[in-house]
Amino acid sequence: MTWWSVIRFLHVLGAALWVGGQLAVSLILLPLARRLLDAERRASVLGAVGRRFGLFTVTAFLPVQLVTGVAMAAHKGVTWASLAQPGYGRILAAKLLLFCAVMLAAGLHGWASGTGRPAAARALATAALVGSLGVVLLATALPAT
Amino acid sequence: MGPVTVVIGEKGGTQPPAPRASWHLRANAIVVAWIALTIAAALSPGVLPAPRWLVIHVFLLGAVTTAIVIWSEHFAAALLRVGASGRRWSITRLVALNAATIAVLYGVAAGPWPVAAAGAAAVVGVVVWHAAVLAGMLKRALPGPFRHVIGWYLAAAGALTVGGALGGLLAAHVGNGPMHERLHAAHAETNLFGWVALTVLGTLFTLWPTVLRTRLSPLTRRCSRLALRLAVAGLGLTLPGLLLGLRWVAVAGLTVYLAAAAVALAPVVETLRRRRPHTGAAWTLGAAVAWFGIALITDLVVVATHSADDLPAALEPLLPLVLAGFAAQVLLGSLMHLLPAVLGGGPVRFKQNAALLERGWPYRLAAANLGVPLVALPVPERVGLLGWVLVLTPAVAFVALAVTALVRARHPRGRVSPVPLGVVVGCLLTTAAVAVAVSGGAGPARLEVVPGVRRTVEVTLAAMRIRPAVISAPSGTVLTLRVTNADAQRHDLRLSTGDHTPMLGPGETAVVKLAPLAGTVDGSCTVAGHQAAGMTMRIVPAPAAASAEPAETGHAAMGRSGTRTGGRGTTLDPGAPMSPGWKPYDAALKPAAGGEEHRVEIRVEETDLEVAPGVHQRMWTFDGSVPGPTLRGKVGDVFVVTFVNGGTIGHGIDFHAGAVAPDGPMRTIDPGQRLTYRFRADRAGAWLYHCSTMPMSLHIANGMYGAVVIDPPDLPTVDREFVLVQGELYLGQPGQDDLGSRILEGRPDGWMFNGTAAGYDHVPLTATAGERVRIWVVAAGPGSGTAFHLVGVPFDTVYKEGAYLLKRGDPGGAQVLDLAPAQGGFAELVFPEAGHYPFVDHTMPRAEAGAHGLFAVSAP
Repeated sequence: MTWWSVIRFLHVLGAALWVGGQLAVSLILLPLARRLLDAERRASVLGAVGRRFGLFTVTAFLPVQLVTGVAMAAHKGVTWASLAQPGYGRILAAKLLLFCAVMLAAGLHGWASGTGRPAAARALATAALVGSLGVVLLATALPAT
Repeated sequence: MGPVTVVIGEKGGTQPPAPRASWHLRANAIVVAWIALTIAAALSPGVLPAPRWLVIHVFLLGAVTTAIVIWSEHFAAALLRVGASGRRWSITRLVALNAATIAVLYGVAAGPWPVAAAGAAAVVGVVVWHAAVLAGMLKRALPGPFRHVIGWYLAAAGALTVGGALGGLLAAHVGNGPMHERLHAAHAETNLFGWVALTVLGTLFTLWPTVLRTRLSPLTRRCSRLALRLAVAGLGLTLPGLLLGLRWVAVAGLTVYLAAAAVALAPVVETLRRRRPHTGAAWTLGAAVAWFGIALITDLVVVATHSADDLPAALEPLLPLVLAGFAAQVLLGSLMHLLPAVLGGGPVRFKQNAALLERGWPYRLAAANLGVPLVALPVPERVGLLGWVLVLTPAVAFVALAVTALVRARHPRGRVSPVPLGVVVGCLLTTAAVAVAVSGGAGPARLEVVPGVRRTVEVTLAAMRIRPAVISAPSGTVLTLRVTNADAQRHDLRLSTGDHTPMLGPGETAVVKLAPLAGTVDGSCTVAGHQAAGMTMRIVPAPAAASAEPAETGHAAMGRSGTRTGGRGTTLDPGAPMSPGWKPYDAALKPAAGGEEHRVEIRVEETDLEVAPGVHQRMWTFDGSVPGPTLRGKVGDVFVVTFVNGGTIGHGIDFHAGAVAPDGPMRTIDPGQRLTYRFRADRAGAWLYHCSTMPMSLHIANGMYGAVVIDPPDLPTVDREFVLVQGELYLGQPGQDDLGSRILEGRPDGWMFNGTAAGYDHVPLTATAGERVRIWVVAAGPGSGTAFHLVGVPFDTVYKEGAYLLKRGDPGGAQVLDLAPAQGGFAELVFPEAGHYPFVDHTMPRAEAGAHGLFAVSAP
């Protein structure tokens, strides 16, 4: 148990909250809202949920993930060159790329729902959710040593 | 002759999706999918820098051939005004063609060769069937103005029959050495200039005016008939010329073919003079035709200037030009024009689709055509990579637009439910990321080749190893090695048979085809020191496989030259005079500079140095001297070292005095690169620094080391301070066969203080009697340390590896400062009287082989 355990804990916790939050919204909140609320209230509730989630993403989730992630990579001695090497480096590189894609999709989702493109917004949200599961998959694939 | 827009008008579709449009839609979706697969193959790691077999064939056999079969049949039916042949049979042919294509791709890339050969035969069969259908249409059709076009399609199909058969032979590994090269060249030329180009030229007679929305050129029929005859004659000469290695026959054939192309393009040019291109499709097709001309002329020049045996290698740079410049742009330009018509859905939808497919075409066109010369010309790697980005980005854009158009056509209201779409996008992203993540695993160390006449073996060069290190195969097996450099530095593979790969950059691949296996074959990397570091492999006939450790002495049995260099031949004579003008490394150590931060630049140079009296040798140095510059500071000082590689191979640097993760600062950098190495010297001592590139034994033996002196706190001042770095001397140049093994066995030719054996015997260090002298010593090795001794006077102070063993005022004394390789310390003494005091490594054989110097002490 060192400070690095704490940093790793924060990183995993952040990921759990973000992916878990998205899953909760998509699998629990969304079907319930569709069943229980009329269209107008549904739009306002879901809009508020989306804005709050976006706020959480930008102010808490992203800073924590980036700082802890970069710190752990630096601690582990990851360099730009090592990202290209097969094994650990390449898995990490793939994870980072996928993470960037997921963040891009999530950002575009916010833009699409803000500008009245509900279909695009849903597609992007689903893509971000599936992609973030892929990030978790790659994270578990990173060799522990 | 009126405008031929009727060709399009017929299927421009007044009806919502007619049955024919529907199957065309699916067929063209296949083409778009193959284009997407091509892009994916081009982007897969290790393939990008050079178009390799898979990319070429996914594109030409998958996308282009499928498109040709679909569209030549469609055009034939439209131009001859005969009903389309049975749709079911057309679809059967397409399915068969795609199955055959997959068989070829799988068979060559992964599977047994018979699958590939059978696939090639099936491709030829489908095309022959296709040609028979076209011929049947021609027979049924009434006389008309467009019959000449079908002749081109039939000729093209004939070319594919030959070219595809040649491809099948190649897949079956028929022919070894030169014959293989000839088959390869003939296969490529026949398929590209026969199957692809004849179809394109024939189609352009009618397609080009249609795209430009103008009437046919009056030259069309005459030019077409003449050009077709010339083209068939030209190819008929080129093919035997290439196959039999008759260079001038091939050149003559290509010249005739060039004339044919010129005649065939005359109507195109004539049309162009009447009507400027105004659509993306027209410009793209025009650019494709221009690249076709350039490729054809270049091809002619290459064939004329290269012997048949190295023709495929010489033609390799031409491939990106033909693929990206000509074939891809013809395909994309045609699809931009034809897809809206195929998709149907009424005039409004037609316009929408056309606008969609042409979206941003000037940028796409500019990017692609800027990229083509960059991928074809021998430009620096980064520029070449930019070229690929420029070529592939418009292709990706086209695929995205085409998929959008296709999806819209299937869902007329333009609705795709968002959640499945999102799931698909997310899964695709994840799949791509996983594919990146799992790419490039380590190969097995040993491979048993199962009995079989021919086998392709993947060989990986990485981390100073060749994998597999041992290949055992039954005698007589014809092995093909696909050698990939998976390392961050350059490697190659040279076999004792004389076969070898070119020097491979990171990620590059080369193929070596061997003669039938008769005896043991040894292989190694020829980069200096890599063989000695373990980059060896051995191919053994199966019965002998049991005793198959790659032997260090293999080179003797391989009949390679075991001769030694002149330098090695000269015996070391410490008593011989140094060359006139020689100056020793300045052993006097100056006090540390003030300040807490020291900024220095250390540059790798290859320098000729006098390493022993009268013996000059090119050494790898830090800043031109052995040892490199001595850095000095006090505890807590920060050193910011700018490390520049001015050598000819990769080097790195490793300072023992600092505490850093080695990954970044100690990495190997290529010639011309630089890095900043920042460390804080938290601990006192006499520290080594050395080159951090494998094999370090070679790099250190060749001179890449130096000293860092960090004064202990309260270090008393003395009258004189010196630094001596002891290292081993190996005569000979890196890359010589036995230098690496001598280093590994620890058999130096001599020992040196500060880079010259016995140098300070000839120019002694000086002091005055009664002075206190401090001598810092660092042992650089690579294989041996030192027992540093001063003849005549015991040391009264000894400091070794961060601690005093003996302090001034202690009753005891020391006769030797003993250091293991890479250790350091200092010893102090006071010279009692004037005289000559030798200093030596008291391991006496070393002292007699150069680890020897003198203090000339004068009277006060």
